[in-house]
Amino acid sequence: MTRLFPWIQTAPLALVLAVFLLVPVGMLVVVSFYDYDAFSLIPAFVLTNYQELFTSPVTWQTYLKTIYFAGITWAVTLGIGFWIAYHLAFVVQNATLRMVLFILCTVPFWTSNLIRMIAWVPFLGRNGILNSTLIGMGAIEQPLEFLLFSDFSVILAFVHLYTLFMVVPIFNTMMRIDRRLLEAARDAGAGFWQTLWCVILPLTKPGIGIGSIFVVVLVMGDFATVRLMSGGQSASVGLMISNQYGAMQYPAAAANAVGLLLMVLLVVAAMLRIVDIRREL
Amino acid sequence: MTDKKISVTRRGALALAGAALGSGAVTGFPTIWAQNIRNITLRQLGTGVSGLNPIAEQVKKDLGFTLQLTVTDTDAVAQRAATQSRSFDIADIEYFSIKKVYPTGVMQPIDTTKIKLADKIVPIFTTGKLTPQSAVAQGTSPYSVGFVENATAKTFATQRTPLMTLLPTIYNADTLGIRPDLVGRPITHWKDLLDPAFKGRASILNIPGIGIMDAAMVAESAGLVKYADKGNMTRAEIDKTVAFLIEAKRAGQFRAFWKTFDESVNLMASGEVVIQSMWSPAVAAVRSRGIACTYQPLAEGYRAWGSGLGLMRHLSGLQLDAAYEYLNWYLSGWAGAFLNRQGYYSAVLETAKAQMTENEWGYWMEGKPAASDIIAPDGKVMEKTGAVRDGGSFQERMGRVVCWNSVMGEDRYMVQKWNEFIAA
Amino acid sequence: MPGRVARLLLGALFGAFMLFLYGPTLTITILSFQGPDGGLTFPMNGVSLHWFGRLFQPQAVGDLGAAMTRTLLLAAMVTATTVVVSLAAGMAFRRRFAGSTVLFYLTVASLIVPSLLVSLGIGLMFNLMEWEPAWYSSAFGAQLTWTLPFGLLIMFAVFNRFDRSWEEAARDMGATPWQSFWHVVLPIIAPSVVGIALFGFTLSFDEFARTLLTAGSGNTLPLEILGMTTTVTTPVLYALGTVSTAVSFLVIGGALIGMRLMRKRRGI
Repeated sequence: MTRLFPWIQTAPLALVLAVFLLVPVGMLVVVSFYDYDAFSLIPAFVLTNYQELFTSPVTWQTYLKTIYFAGITWAVTLGIGFWIAYHLAFVVQNATLRMVLFILCTVPFWTSNLIRMIAWVPFLGRNGILNSTLIGMGAIEQPLEFLLFSDFSVILAFVHLYTLFMVVPIFNTMMRIDRRLLEAARDAGAGFWQTLWCVILPLTKPGIGIGSIFVVVLVMGDFATVRLMSGGQSASVGLMISNQYGAMQYPAAAANAVGLLLMVLLVVAAMLRIVDIRREL
Repeated sequence: MTDKKISVTRRGALALAGAALGSGAVTGFPTIWAQNIRNITLRQLGTGVSGLNPIAEQVKKDLGFTLQLTVTDTDAVAQRAATQSRSFDIADIEYFSIKKVYPTGVMQPIDTTKIKLADKIVPIFTTGKLTPQSAVAQGTSPYSVGFVENATAKTFATQRTPLMTLLPTIYNADTLGIRPDLVGRPITHWKDLLDPAFKGRASILNIPGIGIMDAAMVAESAGLVKYADKGNMTRAEIDKTVAFLIEAKRAGQFRAFWKTFDESVNLMASGEVVIQSMWSPAVAAVRSRGIACTYQPLAEGYRAWGSGLGLMRHLSGLQLDAAYEYLNWYLSGWAGAFLNRQGYYSAVLETAKAQMTENEWGYWMEGKPAASDIIAPDGKVMEKTGAVRDGGSFQERMGRVVCWNSVMGEDRYMVQKWNEFIAA
Repeated sequence: MPGRVARLLLGALFGAFMLFLYGPTLTITILSFQGPDGGLTFPMNGVSLHWFGRLFQPQAVGDLGAAMTRTLLLAAMVTATTVVVSLAAGMAFRRRFAGSTVLFYLTVASLIVPSLLVSLGIGLMFNLMEWEPAWYSSAFGAQLTWTLPFGLLIMFAVFNRFDRSWEEAARDMGATPWQSFWHVVLPIIAPSVVGIALFGFTLSFDEFARTLLTAGSGNTLPLEILGMTTTVTTPVLYALGTVSTAVSFLVIGGALIGMRLMRKRRGI
């Protein structure tokens, strides 16, 4: 009975993942080998979908662009997220205040993302708040065009959406650092940067790893942000898939999906080599 | 077994109703089986263009059953209709989408002998020509995908048959929208979209089946590509069209590409864009905010689109009859007038005319100056006395349609190339 | 500990970050007070409460009330399931058992398979199986593949820090496993369980990609908003945003005051 116990406890989890993850992904793989015409799927085993996909220079361009978005977003969210987590963990001392600040950070996310995306136009647009403010202050004379519908705005939106996914795991690991270690470091004569580099950073590595996985995966799979914030001017693999799906070219979309999945798995596997998230949580 | 009893009486009632419909004896709504039909819910999938709550309310009032509307964007309508067909009873879908959806077998044809006003439908849908003299426009015209030979056919009939794929409900002639206050010169041709003066202030829409047609209109107007048939391009023609789009994109001509109606309104109203492909009610929406916006008629003519209601394959029995009741109702006037008042066109004109004031009909359909203020469905003043509709009358606008939104033979290749353009 | 200057700098950074987070919210709030003729972008066309009134009337397109109800129900289902399932699995994962490694990697995989692909796969599966997708079946499952791994990761974080001696003490005193769970383990980890619930709710409430291709005929709120953008949209959307922000603040404020009062009563 006790030997069966863990299985009973994990059975619901296993069941959900089997039905809603394994089977669907398996289906994607199967369909990616199907043939299709303008109207229907033709069960078959053909490699044309992959051939068309990987012989097109656009595919490679799009994959590179996706990695580019993921890379920059990762660097920026890490840069900001680390210090935000640091501030919450080490500067803010009051537990209630800490919680209030955390919740304040999440409030904007309770407004539907689509509405927030629409709101970037009047915020960053030619006649938007930011440009009018800057012109009003005399900082610029002409509205800045690159603020909206550009790679800049895409990354800005990503940073806006995903920084918290970096903050939370880093904050979590920082809170687990034994404060006596920091005191010991100070007693041993370590300065701020030395403590940071030699004590805090190594100990927060797992948090950084988990946060990085979140951010990179979320950015790589995105399609809505890229489309809306670039004004349809930029592409990502996700967007390409959703376009193919929109045109009902399911096998092409599935082949592309398998490609994206492999890319994501490779990146994450590389990250997992650096941190063992199960042990370090 | 009360269930059985009910179904028997239902069937009896249906037979009666069917007979009544067939004989054309039914003139008003609701009909004899009004009591049964009250419990019926028809689930309709469509875009926000015509998935309008006031229509559902009127259906409830006139027919007694519930019309449950699900709205989503153009691409998603086609996807959901094809992949989640069991979730819906009626698809309110565009003709170029039906070209892909119908052959998947998720829909059943509409028996036009059960549609009383079938012969009153505007001839664009039944013969392909607005008047016997006019030419059939290029592209996926509603006529070319409007009929099938029999109930199980998966290919479209080449001529009119008693079985329709979609019952036409709404259509329009599209052109470029401009901000007359910001473009600073008269706009006369599709190629003006590429004028370097509008660098960074132009936009086209990013729904491949529609966007490629706008692009083709521009390319042809600029003399860059000569098409044998814009609506059915060869690979070489697609290559050339996309190449010129990519060139313009790289040169920074476009500010953005829009996908939903709302985006086009916001782009225009905020001044991000001064010239772009646009839909008629979007122009009206910009204007209603006190911002000048013109739906500019162009020398080359219009690109048109049309939508209709299709029946999902699984509909049967009382539900199917309710659906036919609804289709008949759609042509009977109220809905047509409601859509005409928003700048669209209805499939049967006379019944809609009966529901509109002379002033409304004159402004929207005949190109006459408004004799008094034109009021929007929500009660706001839309156009002041004396205003004339951009492009003029129904005949002037629909008569100058040169192509329809399209799904081409080389669709698979086209979507690939379109993705290339977006990624470039 | 950082020095004074560093603290100031960090505080300033945090302030700037908050401002950035609230940028769109601020825009939404301002524009929700548009005049009756105003649109979704600047310029403002007068100032009014018009759109807040319109929010509670039927819209021309879409049904915000029904979509909101569906979204809340779905979020509640997802939250409850996530809490129960990840709690149970978290308990089991404290020991290694046959298959635990496989299941662990499957859970991680569930986290990293992009949402769109899960949506696409489930959509295809329901299609090929000829099942009818609906928000309470396919979309529910699609969201669980996202919230369950989150829940489980939080459970890992909790149990890695959990002091086993409490449980052992309970067992020594003759408690059954169920008793020791109910009276000892659960009260200790309760705050984290609330955390899982909040996380699950937030993730489900605004989920878009996973429900896009799995929702069937009933749109959730994000999908309904997408549908509404296919025709003339009005600042009603912004009014909705402003109201949801205001409600969030009220709930948070209420919870804080409630906690204060509880503490006072307990005399802490």
